[in-house]
Amino acid sequence: MGSFLENIQERFFRGFWNPFMVLIFAGIFAAFYFGLTGTLWAVTGEFTRWGGNLLQLFGVDPSHWAYYKAIKLQGEPIDRTDGWLVIGMLFGGLLSALMSQNFKLKMPRQKRRWAWGFVGGLLAGFGTRLAMGCNLAAFFTGLPQFSLHSWLFIAGTALGTYLGVKLAVLPIFKGQPKVEFGLRPAKATSPNPNGHRKQLYIGAIVFVIIVLIAIYYFAIGKAMLGFAVLFGGAFGMLIQRGQLCFTSGLRDLWLTGRGTLAKAIIIGMAIQTVGTAIFIFKGAQPVIHWASLGSLIGGVMFGVGIVIAGGCETGWMYRLMEGQVQFISVGLGNVVGATILAYSWDHWGVFDALVKGSPEINLVSSLGWGGAIVCTGAFLFLLYLLVVWREKVYSKKMNQAHIPTSKKTTA
Amino acid sequence: MSIKKQDQVLVSGSLDVRGESCPYPELYTLDAIKQLESGQILEVIADCPQSFINVPESAEKHGHKVLNTVKNGSTSYFYIQVK
Repeated sequence: MGSFLENIQERFFRGFWNPFMVLIFAGIFAAFYFGLTGTLWAVTGEFTRWGGNLLQLFGVDPSHWAYYKAIKLQGEPIDRTDGWLVIGMLFGGLLSALMSQNFKLKMPRQKRRWAWGFVGGLLAGFGTRLAMGCNLAAFFTGLPQFSLHSWLFIAGTALGTYLGVKLAVLPIFKGQPKVEFGLRPAKATSPNPNGHRKQLYIGAIVFVIIVLIAIYYFAIGKAMLGFAVLFGGAFGMLIQRGQLCFTSGLRDLWLTGRGTLAKAIIIGMAIQTVGTAIFIFKGAQPVIHWASLGSLIGGVMFGVGIVIAGGCETGWMYRLMEGQVQFISVGLGNVVGATILAYSWDHWGVFDALVKGSPEINLVSSLGWGGAIVCTGAFLFLLYLLVVWREKVYSKKMNQAHIPTSKKTTA
Repeated sequence: MSIKKQDQVLVSGSLDVRGESCPYPELYTLDAIKQLESGQILEVIADCPQSFINVPESAEKHGHKVLNTVKNGSTSYFYIQVK
C-alpha cells in the first residue's frame, strides 16, 4: 500500500503541474460541469449563503432580504450543489497538498497578515457579490457564458489589482524582511522523508472520503450533489497542483512582470468558451447577470482586496488546505463581506444605486452566434496582448535598472 | 548541516521567510538580494508552495543565478548567487 502510494506520488505529485495544462483541464471540466448541472463552477454565491446560514444559527433569518431571495437561501450547505462543490474543492486541495507533501501548518511571521487578510477578504467578498461573481463566475467561468457583466468585472479587476499592488508594497502592508548576514555553509541535499508516508496515508483517506460521499449521493438519487463533490475534488486538486492563484496571475503582471499564469488563464477561458458554446447551442441555459456599474466597481474592489489579502476566493481555499492558517481570516473576510453586501443590497440601496435598470446582456442573443464568438475571441486575444506587453515593459525597465548595478564590486 | 562536506558552498546571507505567503517571499528575496554584493550567495528558506515557483523564477528573471534548491519535507532552501 505504502509503495503503491509512493509510486503515485512519484509520478504525479513530484513537481507542480504545468499551469497551461492545469488551466486547459480546468476549462474543460468547467464546461462539462456546466453541461451536466446547468450551474457554474463558482464559490462566492455559496459563501454568501454560508453567511446567511450563520445568521440563522444566531436567530436572525435573512431569507427575506432581496439578495438572498435572488440567490435562493434554502437549506444548509450540504443540501446544495454549490455547497458540495466548495466542500469538494477543500477536500481536493487537501488531498493534493498531502500527496505532494506540500502540507505544513504554518503561522505568518508578521501578525499584520491576519488583519490585512481579513480586510482584503472583506473587500473582495463585498466586491464579488456586487458584481455577481468572483474570479470564477464573473471571470473564468463567466466570460465563456457570453455574459457581458464578466467583461466589466475583468476590466475592474485588472485596474483593482494594479491599485492593490501600489498598496501592497507600502511598508504598512509589506513589513521588513530580516536577512541574517555572516558566512555559513549551505545545505547539501537532504533525503529526509520524515512523516513522509503519513501524509500519503491521510491523502488516501481523503480520496476515499470524496468517493464515498459521491457514491452515497448517487445511490440515494441525488446525483447532482455527487457530481458537485467529484467536480469540486477535481477543481481543488487542479488549483493546488497548478498553484492556480488568480491573485498571483494578475498581481505579478504588475509586480514582477510575470505573465505565465495570466496567459494560461486566458487559454483556459478560450477552451472553455468553445465547450460552453456547444452546450448552450444544444439548449443549456446560459448564466447571465446584470452588466452594471456594480460589476465594474465590484471588480475594482475585488482586485484591491485580493492583493491585500494575498489570495482570491479560490486561492485562499487551497492555501488553507496547504496548512497556511492565516487564510482562515481571508475566508472569513469573504463570508462577512458577502453578507454585508447582501444586507446593503436592499437596506442601504446598493441595488438601486448601482445595479437597477442595468440590462442582463447575453452576447449570443444580442450579436448572434458569430458575433458573440468573434467578440469573445477578440476580447481574449486583446487580454493576451496586454499580458505580453506588460512582460515586455517590465523586462525593459529591469534591464535599464540593472545597468548601474554592474558597477558593484565583486566580493 | 554540521558535517563539513567537500566543495561546500558558503552563503553570505540567509533569509528565512517560513510562514510568509506570496507575494512576500518573492518580494523579500528581491529586497534581500539588493543588500548583498555581486557574486555573493543568498540562502532563502521558504515553505509557501507558491514561492517554490515564484522565488527561483523571479530571481532568474532579474538575472541572478539559482545555484541549488534543496527540498526538505515541505520546506525549500534556495541558493541564489547575486549577479
